[in-house]
This record gives sequence, C-alpha cells and structure tokens, in this order.
Amino acid sequence: MLRASAVAERAGVPTASLVCEGFRGQAATTATGLGLPGLPTALVPGHVDVQSVDELRQNVATVTVDAVIRNLTEAPARVGAAVVEPGPGDVVFEGTLDEVNRFFYENDWSDGLPIVPPTPDRVAEFLRFCDRPGETSLGVLLPDRRRATIWNVAVNGVMAGCRPEYMPILVALVEAMADPRYGVEHSGNTPGAETLIILNGPLIKELGFNYEQGALRDGVQANTTIGRFWRLYLRNVAGFLHHRTDKGTFGNTWRVVLAENEDALRRIGWSTIAEDEGVLAANAVTISRYTGGGVIASVFGNTPPRMLPYLADAIVAKVGWELLFTVGMGAGSQRPLLILSPILAETLAKGGLDKAQLKERLFELARVPAGKLERYVGEWTNLMPGRPTLTGLVKAGLIPAVFAESEDPERLVPIVCRAEDLMIAVSGDPLRTNAYAFAHNGILGFPTTKPIRLPAEWSRLLREARAR
Amino acid sequence: MESLWLLVPAGQRASGEWIDDTLRARAEEKGLLGRSPRAGDFPRRRVELIRDVDPTAAVNRRYRERGWTDGLPIVPPTLGRVDEMLAESSLERHAVLGEVEPLGGVATIEKVAANAVMAGCEPSYFPVVLAAVQALLDPAFNLRGVQTTDENVAPLLVVNGPAAGRLGINAGWGALGPGWPANAAIGRAAHLVMHNLGGGWPGAVSFAGLGQPGRYTLCLAEREDTPWAPLHVELGYRPEQSTVTVLRAETVINVTGGLDELASVMGSAASLFGILHSGVPAVILSPFTARRLAGEGWTRARVREELFARGRLAADTWRRSWIHATVRASDWPDWAIAAAESGSIPAVREPDDITLIVAGAELPIPQHAYCPSWGHPPCRVTREIVSR
Repeated sequence: MLRASAVAERAGVPTASLVCEGFRGQAATTATGLGLPGLPTALVPGHVDVQSVDELRQNVATVTVDAVIRNLTEAPARVGAAVVEPGPGDVVFEGTLDEVNRFFYENDWSDGLPIVPPTPDRVAEFLRFCDRPGETSLGVLLPDRRRATIWNVAVNGVMAGCRPEYMPILVALVEAMADPRYGVEHSGNTPGAETLIILNGPLIKELGFNYEQGALRDGVQANTTIGRFWRLYLRNVAGFLHHRTDKGTFGNTWRVVLAENEDALRRIGWSTIAEDEGVLAANAVTISRYTGGGVIASVFGNTPPRMLPYLADAIVAKVGWELLFTVGMGAGSQRPLLILSPILAETLAKGGLDKAQLKERLFELARVPAGKLERYVGEWTNLMPGRPTLTGLVKAGLIPAVFAESEDPERLVPIVCRAEDLMIAVSGDPLRTNAYAFAHNGILGFPTTKPIRLPAEWSRLLREARAR
Repeated sequence: MESLWLLVPAGQRASGEWIDDTLRARAEEKGLLGRSPRAGDFPRRRVELIRDVDPTAAVNRRYRERGWTDGLPIVPPTLGRVDEMLAESSLERHAVLGEVEPLGGVATIEKVAANAVMAGCEPSYFPVVLAAVQALLDPAFNLRGVQTTDENVAPLLVVNGPAAGRLGINAGWGALGPGWPANAAIGRAAHLVMHNLGGGWPGAVSFAGLGQPGRYTLCLAEREDTPWAPLHVELGYRPEQSTVTVLRAETVINVTGGLDELASVMGSAASLFGILHSGVPAVILSPFTARRLAGEGWTRARVREELFARGRLAADTWRRSWIHATVRASDWPDWAIAAAESGSIPAVREPDDITLIVAGAELPIPQHAYCPSWGHPPCRVTREIVSR
C-alpha cells in the first residue's frame, strides 16, 4: 500500500496510508526504502482484524481520521541526506576468525551460522568466474534500495560457503531476484513464504548438485550453500531483517536448491522446469516463493488413473487461502509445484502421459467445491473486498469460465486458472514412490527463470577450481 | 590487548541516517568541536570492537571525543551488559518506542539499553528507564521543545509504587542529591537517551542559556509512608502498580518553612512561564509537613487548593515583568487575564495542575521544593513500569 502512496506522492497527489499499530516500524523503513522517508501515515490502533465494528469505528474516529486529515493537508517532511555505506573494496574489519564471525553476526550481516570471511582474495577468486566487472549493476532491490552488483554477489557467495565456480549461478539468481516479475519487495510479507530455487542444465552434474535421495535436504555443498546465499543476499543487499523490514509471522529456514533429475526427464521425454517456463538456455535457474509444502507419501498404483486422484488430492490439500492468487489479487498467479520422484514420473509416462497431458489431468482432478473456494477468500479471510462470487468474477472477465459452469456451490472448480499454471518437477530418490507439493504465494514471488551465463573460459576455470 | 564489543549508542533515523552527521555540522557551525573533536567519526553500524590495553579508558576517551557523554565517565555499553539490560524487559531488542526529538534517532529497546548501561544503570533499573523514555516520547511532553528551548527545563522523574523500594530509588534523605545509585543512573539514562538519540547537544541543538544540574539527573521516588495516598494512586493507578511520572521542571527551588513560604515562592516571577503556558508545576512537600497536615485532617487536594489560593502573583508584578513586555497580550491564557483583572494571578490555572509529591527527610525544620514548569502543552505524563 505504501508503494501506491509513494507513486501518488511523486505524482503530486497527497496521500494518507493507514497503518495498523504493529506495522509502524515497517512503514517507516519501507517509506525510506521507497525514497520518501516522510511518507505520511495514519495510525490505526491495534489490529483491525480482531476489532468489532464499534471498536474499529471508535479507533478510526478518535485517532485515524485526524491523522488522515493532517496527511492530506500538510506537506510531507523533506527527504534527508543520503546514508553512506562502506565501498566495495573497503576493509571493514580485521581480526581472528572468531572475531570476524562475531562482528558480522552482531552487525546483522550473518544468519547465525559461521560465515567464511569475505577477504579480498576470496572475492577476487569468485570474480574470475564472471566475465562482467564487479561494479556491474544487476538492479536495485527493495526495501533498502541497495544496488545489486557482481561484487556484492561474490561477497555474499563467499560468506555463504559457496565455491567460486558457483558464481554464474549466483549471478543468475540475483538477476531473477531483481526481475520485477518475481517481486522481491514482498519477501517480508506476513505469510513468511520461502523461495525455492530450481536448477536445470549440465551444471547440475558439473558442480555436484544432489538431485536424488534427500534432494531437499541440506548436506550437499552446492545445494546447501546456494540456498543459504539466497537468504544472506536478501538480508545484506535487499535488506530484510528480523523485526524490522521482515514481517513474516513464522517464516521458514532457507530451502536448499532443488536440482532436477534430467537423466530421468530425458528418458521419458519430458521437458524441464526451465523449458516449461520458456527458457531454453543450457543452464537456468527458476525461483518461486512457496508458503509451505509437504510430502505425498507412498503413491500407490501402476497406472495414471490409479495414481492421479491421490496426487491431485495432495495438491489441493496444500492450498488454502493461497487460492486468493487464483481468483483474486493477481488472479491467475497461483502456480503450485508438484515434485515427482523419477519412478513416479516414469510410471506416469509409461501410462502414456507427457507433461502437458499430466497437467491437464491434474487440472481436471485437483478441484474444490466452489462454495469452499469462496469461503477461503471471502469468509475465512478478508483478503477479497466485497465478497465477490466466482460467477461474478467470471462475468467481470477476471477468471476463466470454468469457475462458473453453474450456480451450484457444490460444483467443483479448479485451483488454478489454466492447466499450464501447474508446475511439475522431477527429483528425489529415484526408486521411491513419493512426491512433494508446494503451495504458491502468487504474485508475491512469481516463478521467474533466468539463463545462467558461463564465463568464456569456463572449462579451464572449472578444471583449475577442481584441482585446488 | 583486550577487546570490548560495544553497541553503538548513537541515534539513527528510520531512514538510516545517523543524527551525528547533523550534530557534527551544527557543532562546526557553532565552533563547538572542542567539546567533541571527533563528532561523527565512528563506525556506522550496530556494533563496534575496541581493542586496547585499557579498553574501558579507550572507550571513555573515544565516546567523549565523539560527543556521546554528559562529561562524566560512562560504563562501556558492551553487548553483554546490554543483554543483561534487555533480559529485564519482555520487549524485543529491535522494538521501537518512537523517534527521539528533535533529530529523530529511533529509540529501539537496545539503543535505550546501551545508553542505560552508559549511565551506570543496574539491569534491574531498566524497566524504569523504559517507562521514563516512553513518557518522554509522549507528544504531550514536547521533547522537541525541551531539547531546543533557550530555557533550562529538564525532565523531572517521579517514581511510585513497589519498584521504588525494590530498586532503592531514594525518596528520603537527600533524594535529589548525590549518593543514590538508582536516582543518579535512571535520570542520567533518560538524559543520555535525549542526548544521543535525540541529539540534544548543548550549544549545537540545545540552546538552554544556563542549563541546570538537573540535566545530569533529576529523579526521585515519592515517600509513600504518609497517611496520604501516593501520587500514582491519585492519578488512578493501583498501589501495587509502579509508575514513573514525568514533568517538565524549569528548576528546583528549595523552600524551607511551610505552606506560606511555598505559596510565596509560587506567587513570584518563578511562575511566569507556568502562567503563560498554563503549566503543571511540581511541589515537593516535606514528609514532616505532610504527616502533620494529614493529622490535622488535610487532604492532598486541600493542600493544592490552599497553595492555589495563597500562591498569587500580584497583577502589577506581572505587568512589570520582562515577559509581559515581550509576548503578545493574546498569548496569555484567558484565565490569567481574568485573574489579573481581579488583582492577582494564581501560579496555575486550577489547583489540580499542582503535582504534589511527598519526599525528603523527616526534618522538623521542613524543606520543600517548588519546580516551576516551562512549555506547552500542560504535561504530567505517567507510564507504568512493566517488569519482566
């Protein structure tokens, strides 16, 4: 909301942004990040969701209205001086390993695990794996409005415990983070979703990523440290900090990188996630934010008709209020992810399904009663104003006709707008019949795929790195 | 070499700027870098590591040169000491109490804790410091005015309830004098918060012409061992609650004697700002007098009414005063103008504006004090002391 106010203020239109009590700190820092530290806000005492109509009316009448009037009639405070930060080559600290770790942690630059000190030598080693100079800008990230550069990618990569040869992946990840389509500025929102990174291409094997047993578990350097890099970068460059710019109610530990089993994909002729997202480069990363997920254990059956109802049911089971992103805010942006173990994918393929057909089948089976979907987004949460009906949204042209095939509240409707909105990856223990489903956070972390650019001397550099 | 890990106690705005940059510029303009030759010269981050053979002395030297002290030595705000402070509050370390006027440093719990450590607070004092800072940040306190006026006003902190006894906040012998660690450190912590987070550097931002020793500390407890209900109970709190009440005190005037002597000081030029601003002054009454009056059936309200009735400034004195010649006639409140027409002006708009506090030693030649107020708006801000 503050972003909308900032746009209006910049256009010369006075604004008042209503801010619940618990969000004042976030409002101040967000306003600063938007470059308008004086952005006018009006306090709403407490939190509106737990107040009766009378209490809310009383709070608004006694506190909020006055502030709104002031917001709209007084000139906002002028913008202050710039904040000076250390330059890229500055040595900010010298000391023992223990001291470096304490210093970085206490200054909010670390996540609580030990870091590898980002010494000039180590950073230089990372920079060798990128053909662009360190000062190259990859974009400006909210909320801190800090510039993402090749240099600060390398620094955070060193700190996370990455190897230098991961650098091309790290750069692609930050390019994805900076893509407006992804929406990094939402990374501190209250549902606390975490990003999952999916890797495709020959780099999976060249750099030793795990894509088999325990694919989503820490313990393999490439998968683990790149996942950690993601969160360190959100902290140190984008600027998401506990209790300040982060409002994730629970959140989650960063997720390790999911590498697809491309051997299995090739055997059954299925496309990769990156290809599904339209990126045909040899190597690519895909990022997307998920509120949560869970395993679908022991998928029984040897034909699609026996397997699909269970898989479809599991996808539905992981999705609740996130249906908002199917029919409401950013309608059509709900992109659930299903990860199949290779043996499940192979069994489905043997049953005659290619990936597009599988998505079509799941689109037909993964359905909920229309009345229930309306309750999720209109009654149990207050996320859609005015409690619109699905038929009303169809009539307004906001969602596809499939949501209004009748007026019956018991009719079944899909959980995504189009079959291709479902994402399907293949990874995990090759011979175990388990799957995994993730519920997606819609436009607040939309799937974004970027090609990975390797340096011209990649083969030589990789050989040298392996030899060290 | 020894190391100290220190929480930087300086003020940072919500926008990320450090108020010391503003302070450095103001100090340069005013030729005040002698006090703080290294103002603004510090690491711009949460934590600083100082290594020295005598790190406590090194910290003191650096902080003094950066302008972060009140001139007296400070206790280095090490991470360990700050954590001990924080353990006494249930508030999260980054929780924000507000922005400290006038320069707007953000008063997070840990920034307040760092300044409380510097002031010499025991961790157990911290809930009192937090309550006092919350009171200072109440818009009614007008901290911007207090910090920037050319008058010498300082916050007067009055502690009530069981916390006072538990923490040893003195209400008796020499309660406003030296020798009492809690009185000394709690009031000093409030001032260091004003100094380091609000930027009230003397001469650079704060233009008090003379200042007053109460700007180091001005903190006492009330004696609750008289027959009267204590201040916080009068203000609607329960006896078992603990509170800090904050007033704007222009100074502390000793008045030895009885109500007549108190009234004569109140009905003097000392009350001119109070009349102009319809202020809320404090009267600190000797426990000897309080006990005697209570024994004669007087209530606290009657004492206030009596001081209101007797403490009158002659209208002629008012008309001849410098302030009468300086401010516009329309600036004076209606009640004062009406009273002047009847020949004299009370020190306050109404009796309840007198904050009556019982404190001091049980001396038969009783000593009281009058703390006239300064500034808009009328202010008597009370906050409950919330211990973990």
